[in-house]
Amino acid sequence: MRHTNILIVMLLLLSATQALALPDGRELYIRNCNACHQFQGAGGIGLPLTAKKFRDYSDDYLFKTIRHGRPGRVMPAFMEMSDAQVRAIITFLRQQTKTQARIYATSRLSGDPARGRQLFQTHCVACHGTDGGGQGEGTGVTLSRKRAFLIMPPAISNPGFQAAASDRMIRQVISVGRPQSGMPAFAEQGLSERDIDALVAYVRQLGERAAKKPEVALDEPPSHVTESPYDFETTVANVKQAVVGANFRAFPDRFLEQGLTDEFSVNPRQIGIRFCNFNKLYDMLKIEPRLGVVLPCRITILERPDGQVLLVTPNLKVVAHWFNNDQLVELWDRMEETFTDIIDEVTL
Amino acid sequence: MRFRGWLLAGLLLIAGGARADHMLMARVPMKADIAVEYLKTSIEEHGYAVAHVQMCDSGMKGFGFKSDTYRVVFFGKIDEVRRIVAAHPEFSAYLPLKIAVVAERGETVLSAINPKTFDTYYPKDKAMRVQFGRWHNDIRSMFHDVDQAARAKAKTSKNAP
Repeated sequence: MRHTNILIVMLLLLSATQALALPDGRELYIRNCNACHQFQGAGGIGLPLTAKKFRDYSDDYLFKTIRHGRPGRVMPAFMEMSDAQVRAIITFLRQQTKTQARIYATSRLSGDPARGRQLFQTHCVACHGTDGGGQGEGTGVTLSRKRAFLIMPPAISNPGFQAAASDRMIRQVISVGRPQSGMPAFAEQGLSERDIDALVAYVRQLGERAAKKPEVALDEPPSHVTESPYDFETTVANVKQAVVGANFRAFPDRFLEQGLTDEFSVNPRQIGIRFCNFNKLYDMLKIEPRLGVVLPCRITILERPDGQVLLVTPNLKVVAHWFNNDQLVELWDRMEETFTDIIDEVTL
Repeated sequence: MRFRGWLLAGLLLIAGGARADHMLMARVPMKADIAVEYLKTSIEEHGYAVAHVQMCDSGMKGFGFKSDTYRVVFFGKIDEVRRIVAAHPEFSAYLPLKIAVVAERGETVLSAINPKTFDTYYPKDKAMRVQFGRWHNDIRSMFHDVDQAARAKAKTSKNAP
């Protein structure tokens, strides 16, 4: 009995110690950020996290960036982390980059957006795009591929950026630039403080415009199931013909269970017709390097015990949203139409 | 001004697609061709069979990519696949499970769809949700295994004469 009491007290003490322990920023960074930003902050799928940039960031900007992410621009919103955990990551990043947090006044600037618009057209549009959504395909510096920009220009109209960056931080970045990624220091390029305030005002307008097109909530299943009017063999032949007709290269067939059991036990009435268009694939990989998690394109054909033949395809519209990548969503809307055409042709 | 703040906050809430957990990802300090081998071992140690490894990188260089390794590892347990396809043929689109392996500057990025993403689509099917939870834990554990192997390997080569 006494031993039990001692054990209970010890367990309570242990759990209290764990609850009071400060979160480990390094561990949290490795678990949540390292895959995209790399441990030394060199970047990858995510943008590089360098000391030069961190000198201009406030901790509030970093906090809100982690919390809200960048909707539609790959970086997720880490809403499930506690405030203490987010702060621990920021502390770790400050140590890594050997930088101190910059503090900005939160009051808004009152620049002239009309003047800002003109300046934006002259100085910013080439990299940040007319709508401030960032030019070029994809994000970060991933896959070391050739690209138009050294580092993809951030989407400054993105709701995540708009919520995180204060007016005065935007002013600071415009003034000192980002020489390491090609953005000039505009204060040295002859822009006055008034000009820069005007640009900030226009960036805010771009944010409001971008904010007017919220993401549509998807209420669809993650896959489509279509009944084939034909028998299994005819359906398989029709699918192969249709994918080639849609300009894809068909790979050798694979049974769904192939490789999971011995060849004599595999169910030969469940087959995946896999196909690819390499031009399209590489265009998509530029936009979304994690695409492999759903590759290759496949139509699964299943014969049910009652003889019914089903065609199963992923719902690309739904899947695209899992990547938090607006460019992919746009591309896969068209790809979904191609899949629908193929299924229509097969079941005609 | 205050309205703008509320508008942004509201939109950020609507844009729920940006949730962190649709993807499971890890970066391991190891070359991709070796990471694939460690991953295959870990998959088998977790009781799954590696169905096959798909190469997606033929011709990548011709398209301007400098990365030369892009593999997709397919794996599963035959009993699970049979049970799920019988009850939920629509789920066959996502079977076998997959992990993408991408080389990035001497390191490797591992990615998979987080199986818990599918919880939303089976709100009343407890067995499926338990299954998704198990896959989620196993994939995380596999990533951990490869990471640990990479770190141990790096330590050994550092200590090598």
